[in-house]
This record gives sequence, C-alpha cells and structure tokens, in this order.
Amino acid sequence: MSEYIFETEDLTYKYSSRQEKPSLDNVNVKIKKGVRTAILGANGAGKSTLFYHFNGIFKPSSGTVKYDGTPLDYNRDALTELRKHISVVVQNPDEQIFSATVEEDIAFGPMNCGMEREDVEKAIQDSLFKVNMEEYRYRPTIQLSYGQRKRIAFAGALSIRPDVLILDEPTAGLDPQMSQDVIELVDQMVEAGTTVIISTHDVDLAYAWAEEIHVLRHGKLVFSGVPEDFFADLEQVFLTGLTVPHTYSVNFMTQSIKGEKLDPYPRTNSQILCKMRHGDSATGHIKLVPVGEGADMVEEEGAVGVYGSDSRRLFASKDRVADYHFNAIECCLMEAINGRPSTLYCDERMVPFVEGRIASLDRFGSHVEVVR
Amino acid sequence: MSEESQMDTLAYSSRMLSWAPLGKLLLVIVVLIVNILTRSMVVPIITLIIGLGLMAYSTNFKIPLFIGLAILEGIIILVIGAGLISVTGSDSSPVIWETNILWFKIHMTVDSFNTAWNVFLRSIAGITVMISFATSTPIPHLSQALRQLHMPREVCELIVLIYRYGFLLLERMESMWNAAHCRMGFNGFTNKIKTAAAIAVGIFTSSSNLADKAQIALSCRNYQGIFPVYNAPPKVGIKWVCLVVIVAVVIYYIGINTLDVVNMAEIFFGKDVVG
Amino acid sequence: MIEGLTNVVEVDDVTFTYEGASKPSLDHVTVNIKKGVKTVILGSNGAGKSTLFYQFNAVEKPDSGQVRVLGQPAKYRGKRLKEIRSQIAVVLQNPDDQVFSSTVEDDVAYGPRNMKLPPEEIKERVERALFETGLTEFREKNTLQLSYGQRKRLALAGALAMRPEVLVMDEPTAGLDPQMALELMELAEQLHNNGTTIVISTHDVDLAYAWADEIHVLRKAEVIYSGPSEGFYCDNMKVHSTGVMQPSMFVMNKNLADIRGEDPAPYPRTESQLISKMVSGPKGKLHVIPVTDKVDHYMLDPVFEHTDDVKVGVFGTESRRLLYASKMPADFVFNGFESCVGRCLRGKDAVLLCDADCVNLIEEKIADLIQFGTVLEYKVYP
Repeated sequence: MSEYIFETEDLTYKYSSRQEKPSLDNVNVKIKKGVRTAILGANGAGKSTLFYHFNGIFKPSSGTVKYDGTPLDYNRDALTELRKHISVVVQNPDEQIFSATVEEDIAFGPMNCGMEREDVEKAIQDSLFKVNMEEYRYRPTIQLSYGQRKRIAFAGALSIRPDVLILDEPTAGLDPQMSQDVIELVDQMVEAGTTVIISTHDVDLAYAWAEEIHVLRHGKLVFSGVPEDFFADLEQVFLTGLTVPHTYSVNFMTQSIKGEKLDPYPRTNSQILCKMRHGDSATGHIKLVPVGEGADMVEEEGAVGVYGSDSRRLFASKDRVADYHFNAIECCLMEAINGRPSTLYCDERMVPFVEGRIASLDRFGSHVEVVR
Repeated sequence: MSEESQMDTLAYSSRMLSWAPLGKLLLVIVVLIVNILTRSMVVPIITLIIGLGLMAYSTNFKIPLFIGLAILEGIIILVIGAGLISVTGSDSSPVIWETNILWFKIHMTVDSFNTAWNVFLRSIAGITVMISFATSTPIPHLSQALRQLHMPREVCELIVLIYRYGFLLLERMESMWNAAHCRMGFNGFTNKIKTAAAIAVGIFTSSSNLADKAQIALSCRNYQGIFPVYNAPPKVGIKWVCLVVIVAVVIYYIGINTLDVVNMAEIFFGKDVVG
Repeated sequence: MIEGLTNVVEVDDVTFTYEGASKPSLDHVTVNIKKGVKTVILGSNGAGKSTLFYQFNAVEKPDSGQVRVLGQPAKYRGKRLKEIRSQIAVVLQNPDDQVFSSTVEDDVAYGPRNMKLPPEEIKERVERALFETGLTEFREKNTLQLSYGQRKRLALAGALAMRPEVLVMDEPTAGLDPQMALELMELAEQLHNNGTTIVISTHDVDLAYAWADEIHVLRKAEVIYSGPSEGFYCDNMKVHSTGVMQPSMFVMNKNLADIRGEDPAPYPRTESQLISKMVSGPKGKLHVIPVTDKVDHYMLDPVFEHTDDVKVGVFGTESRRLLYASKMPADFVFNGFESCVGRCLRGKDAVLLCDADCVNLIEEKIADLIQFGTVLEYKVYP
C-alpha cells in the first residue's frame, strides 16, 4: 500500500526505435490517491502517452511504472486484473462505444471483468442513474447525440466501479451545462473514494478543479505541485503552450496594480468577487437541504439549486426544474454574495464537500451562513 | 438522418422487436418456400395477407418515405415483368388477345395471363413478408439469429461491428458531403467524381484512425477476445417450431385443395374466353 | 441592435426538418447577419447552430421561409448558387471533414477549381489564402502530416480561397490548445478588419463575449435572443435555462457593480477593460511598431532610447511569421495586445510589433479603453 496510486521512475517511451525525440523523456511523476489531479500540457505534449502507461497499454522503453507501490506486471492476466481497477474515458466517445445498444455497451466492461450477472445488472442501473440516462437503456447507440454518447462512454467507464478514473479532455466539445454536469459527476466520484485524473489543456478547468497539477512539455515533466506555483512563472507557462487562467490573471493584475499581495488566490468567480468586495455588504445565507432516502421538498427561500444525482432524481420525480440545474453551488454562492438567500438541494454524502466550498469564501473575506 | 439509420430506428421501434429473431427468420423462409410450392393462386393471396398483416403490425404503418418509394418501385418493376409474361404466351392455350405493335407480337393466352398473375402475387407476397422481417429485426438481432444457427462467432461479431462502424462512417460521409457542397464540390460531372473519390479517401483514412484508437480503447476496457452479449434476444423455443410447421402445413394443404379455385383469366374475361 | 448597416445574410422565418427527424432543427428562425458586424451564434449542442449555417450558404433548403444573401433570394441551383457559395463560406468544426486533397496547396485550390476559375486566378487566390493563414511554407506538405491546429488553419484557408463576403466558422477554437486558440481568434480579427464579415459559433462564452458585437442565441431550434451581448447576459435565469453560463468578465463587473450599487455600464469585455475599470495606477507606455518586410532587433532601437525595461509582444499573422523567421526572442507571441496592455497597466512599458494593416485596429482597441478609465499613452513608429 502506498500513498501514491501511480508512480513513474525515469519513464522514457519511444513508439519506435527510430524515433529521435522520445514521446516521454525521463518522467518522474507521483499521483496521490484521492487527490484531484490534473495533467496539463499542450496538444502533443505527451499527456495521453503518459496515462496509457498507467494502465499498461504502453510499456516503457526504459524506466518503471508502479501502481499502488508495485511495479506493473505486463503479462496478460496481470494486465486484465489491473484494468479492473482503472477506467479511461477518451475524448471522442465513438472510439470507445462498441456495442449496438446502450445497455450492451455499459455491460461490456463488467462482463469482460467477469462480474456475475446480478452485479452486471446493478452496475448498468447505477451507471445510467449517475449519468441521468436511465430512459436510454435500450436505445441503439447510433441514435444518440454527441453529448449523450459522451455520457454513455462515461457510464461505461463507471460501471466497473474503478479505483481510478482517467479522463481525457472531459469537457471538450461540450456546452457549458454538460461540462458542469461532468464536473459534478466527477466530484461525486472523488467523494466516494475514486482517484480522478483529468488530462487537459483547459487551464481554467484545471485551476478551478485540481488540487495538484503535473505539467508536460514535449514529453518532459516540467512541473508537479500546486497550480499557483506554476502560474506564477509566466514565462514557463507560455513555453508549455498554455495560458494563465482568468481568475489567476485578474487577481494578479489587480493586486499588482494596487501593490497588495497576491494570496489568498481565488480560483472561482465567487472567490474573486469576495476578494474584490472587501466584505462590503452583508451576504445572503444558503439553505442546505440534504437529500437521502425518503427525502422530500422543503420550504424554500430564494432561488433553488440542485446538486448531485439523488437530488436530481428527487426533482425529476416531482417533475420540477430547479432555477439552477447545473453549476448550482457556484450560482447559490453568487446569490449569497449579492445579499440574497437561496436554497440548495444536495446529496447527503456530498454535504461535507459543499460545505467546504461555501466555507472557502471565508479566506477571501466574506462569510456565507449555511442553514439547515 | 441517413436511410440506414432510419431503417435502424424503425426496426428498434417495431412491435415485433421482442419476437425471437431466429423464429421470425424461420417463419419468413418457410412462408417464402411454401409460397411457391403449389400452383394455386389462393396461396400467394394468403401469404400476401399474412405479409401485409405482419408489416402493419411491425411498423404500425409508419413507413419512412424511402422504403415506401422502394416498394413502389418494386411493384412497378413487377407489373412490367408480369405484363411481359402475360403477353408472351405459347400456342397451347386459348388466346385472349392477339395483336402486333410495331415489331412486337402480343399473344395473351389464358395460361400466360394466369402465370403472370401468379408470378406477380407470389413476388408481392414475398416482398411484404421480407419487409416485415427487415423492419422488425435490427442487424444485431439478425446476428444473434445466425449465431443460434451455429454460424462462427467471429462472423457474427464482425457483422455487428461492420454495422456499428458503418454508421459512424456514414456520419463522416455526410459531414464531408456537406463540406464539399460548401466549396462547390458537386459543380459539374468531373467535380462530382473527384469529390466522391476524395470523400472515399477521407472515410478510409478516418476508418483506419478509428480502428487504431478503438484498439486502444478495447484494451482499456479489458477486451478478452469476444464481445459478450448481455441481453440476447429470445431463443427459438418449441412454440416457434410448432408455429412454423403448422403454418407451413396449413398453407400447403390449402394450396393443394384450391388448385383451380381462382382462375384470373376467368375472373377478368369471363368463362367464354377461357373455354 | 446595430442599425443602419446592410444585411449580408437574412434568414427569414425559416423552418427546417432533417429527413427522418421527428422535430424541426430550425423552427421559425429569423436571423440577420449585418455587414462588418462581428456576430456570434450561441447555444448548446443540438440547438441548431450548424443547421443554421447550412441555410446561410444554401447547402440545405428551408421547408418554409426564405433565405436572402446580399439582398437577393437564395436559389438552390445554377449560377446563383455558385454566387452564393463564393459569397458565404462555411468552415466546419472538424477539419478532417474538409480535406479533399493530399497536399496543402491542392486542398486550398479545391474550391476555386470547382468554381471553374481560370488557372491564374486560382493560383492567386491560393497564394493569398496561404499567406493570410500563415501556411505559405507548408504549401507542399502532405495534409495527413499536419498537426490539428494546422489542419484547422487549412480548412480556413480553403474557405478564404472562395473570397467570401461572409466567413462562418463553426467552433473555430474547439480542440485547440489555449495559445493556438488565441492565435486563431487574432487571425479572425485581422480578416474582419480587412473586410470579411466573420460569424462564429462557439460554446466558449468568454471568447464570445470578447469577440462579439452582436449575438444570436439558439435554444431548441428557436432564436430566443438577437442583439448586443449584455442584453442577453443580464437575464441570469434566461442564460441558465439556455444551458450556457455568463462570461467571467460580465459576472465580475455586474456583480461588483450591483453590490456597490453602481451602474454596470460601460461593460468591460476583455481583461484589460475590466482591470481598467476596477483599479488604476501609473501606466506605462505602449510602443507600436508596424512590421512590413522583416523583423530584427534594430527595430527596437528607437524604443530603447527611452527605456530598456520593455517586453515585446506581437500581433498579426505576418508579424508573427517574420518574428519566427528572424529568431528574435519575444515575450508575448500570442494575445500580444492584451499582454502588452496588461504590462502597461502595471506601470511598465511594452512594445507591440504588428502587421501594418492592423495599426488601425490597435488604435481602436486603445481608444476603447478610455471609457473604462485608462488613457493609454502610445506611439506608433513609422
């Protein structure tokens, strides 16, 4: 057992011996368990090559890859066992949907892993519920729209109940609502104990979501650590082909001009607003409604947001559409900052996470009261 | 939506979807065979009614335009074909109509007229029965039916893969088609050919790229060499076998006993002509 | 609404349903694209954006309603169709769907060749399109060997070779990493400045907000809003129900203004505008150096007479190309204007190398800052 789910030691990879510059060059990376991790880099930097080493798709030309402290065994049975714990969702869902109907495709993973039939059935139901596609169970995959295919690819990855979920550009091609839904789903996975790794070039996404980032450039690992430390070095950011996230940049500019210090570093719009307003006026409160078994609607105040699969199911069962049916936490925080109360229905097991997000505003000078 | 995906949508929304595909297949084959076993014209009329009934039940009369047009086209061809048969009779039968149009000798006899009707009715009946099968059985189900007939697993999986990836390539083709239109790719005959060739190359390239990526994704999803089927459509049970046998026997029996009940020439032209 | 300009494309009460679909993809849609107005079509996946574009260039015919291009009703065959296709060019999201030849040069020539233009004209158009998109040295490269960003530019070059009045781009920055995305939008800005009306569709609300003069919002096959961006974003609930989010710049400005009880106008759309409105301090000077035929460090000499604490940015396809050719180091190779102004706002000087035909654009952007409280001192060198 190790605190790291993946480690690489001097990992070098060339897809052919004639290749001049290796795709990965002496990469030493350590991915912590349970920590929201992002692998950042421009197109072609080697992000996918790296994570395909984690589940043994690629074998290093030199160096080692370790899973949970143990070096990878590349024989067929060992790889099969490894891949029962690691799921990858690629950017283009058509590349990983193989079956003719939704049900069959979601069952593909579990059946390959040798799960019993009742377990497979449960896995199908659970995954479809999580991605909110239950009524599409018997649909042919070809009839689905792009966003729906992305969700089914996701469900297929979740159905084997992996310990690790690797997502390649999860929000690419998705509209803002669907992007937020993906992040919400991912956060639920993290709270349930899955280690989630997102590979992306979207700096705003990585900055708002990740606790730790690893940055690749032309196959080399150029940074591992906290996002702020990376973005502080502007030249390095530009060399990697990336840009600085909006929230970081605005904070940097305003604080530099005012001659004040940069931290605490806001990562979301609500945090940056709090910092800018200097606790000027009173904040509204958020009424937090935990949704679990047998939960029901309560008396609401202000705008209503919904967060989490159980909460969404509750609303669907009552045939109701919430005012904020995506990105609900941030929207309710905005209501609070503007001095208005709001109500947030959220899954019981996500309550600590949500309370943490609300409490994070304290660092920026505004306190938002949470009532039950 | 392309025609293939319309057909696919139709099949998946059919009321006959949950019938055992092998059962449907056997029924169709048996009915087609029995259709031509006897000379009786009552048999094709019966199978036509069965075919129409199944088609109606399967599609609930919601037939896409292109299928309707295809059926119409088929009917027109059959009418022309049957018409030719009807006017090229031999001398061994009473003549109904005889004339010369340009160099062509019209020689319609009782026999040729009846034969033409027979061919026409049998063909139409066959078409309706086959369409009822096609509109209620998506390719994956057909593949399952073949598997139950002990066709090699690899062939069945290949059928489903070609079907699934075929759709993706059709989608790409449609995009490229539109893109070509944006740049006047179909302006004139030579351009049409060149553009079609370019699209073919594009689809080929994209299919090989897709294959590469799919291989990686298969490994990621722990592909063990076979494509597992979670919910196979129902197998053929004793009920289906009995049904098929009964249908075959009944139709054959009717056929043998109604050999000369329906005489189309008599119906159209009266007893005197037939003699 | 911006009044007094000609409509280049009018979609008038158009309804369109794809064959075999149960619901229309466009439902009584009316959209007018005005000449010289940067337009963005906003909406979630499946709202009908691409379908709308195929109406613009007569690839699809409406079931009801009419489409007019440059004032004339659209025809779907013959000479008029040819005319329309050269007046309106559409660049699709996936560049691989738009490659029809094996070499770059050949592929750019695809459109003009199909239009049966004389060979000299084809050659001239190809040259210009390659130049505008910075692909000149890639002209003989095999299309399969290009990177994703290069393929996107190739698709754009192919459309530019049609010499359109209106260039429509479907998700131009999708799949591009951040720097390439900014470079592409800079290219779009240059093209627009040179007379082509640019229409883009995107999910990226921040990009849309910085770019658009006018937006049209589609939701479930209907147009729910047409007009300046703020008119849409001010209605929080409406924005949310469309499945998009308010742009960061808008959110910050509006909320701060609401909290302080101030007027949110003028609305900053870029970071430099937002920062100008929020804080102020001593400003540096912006030195604008137009680039014509080469870039070298001697160009910076006049600037060094005043100060040596400068950073160098670049704006424009040709300047960037010449910069790379000269191998001179620069600090801001993309997003040159914003980065340079950002530096000036923090009290330091910056040099902006830009294409000669972009100088007016730079001056306009500098002038736009005045309403937000920044009077930027700048000099354009001869």
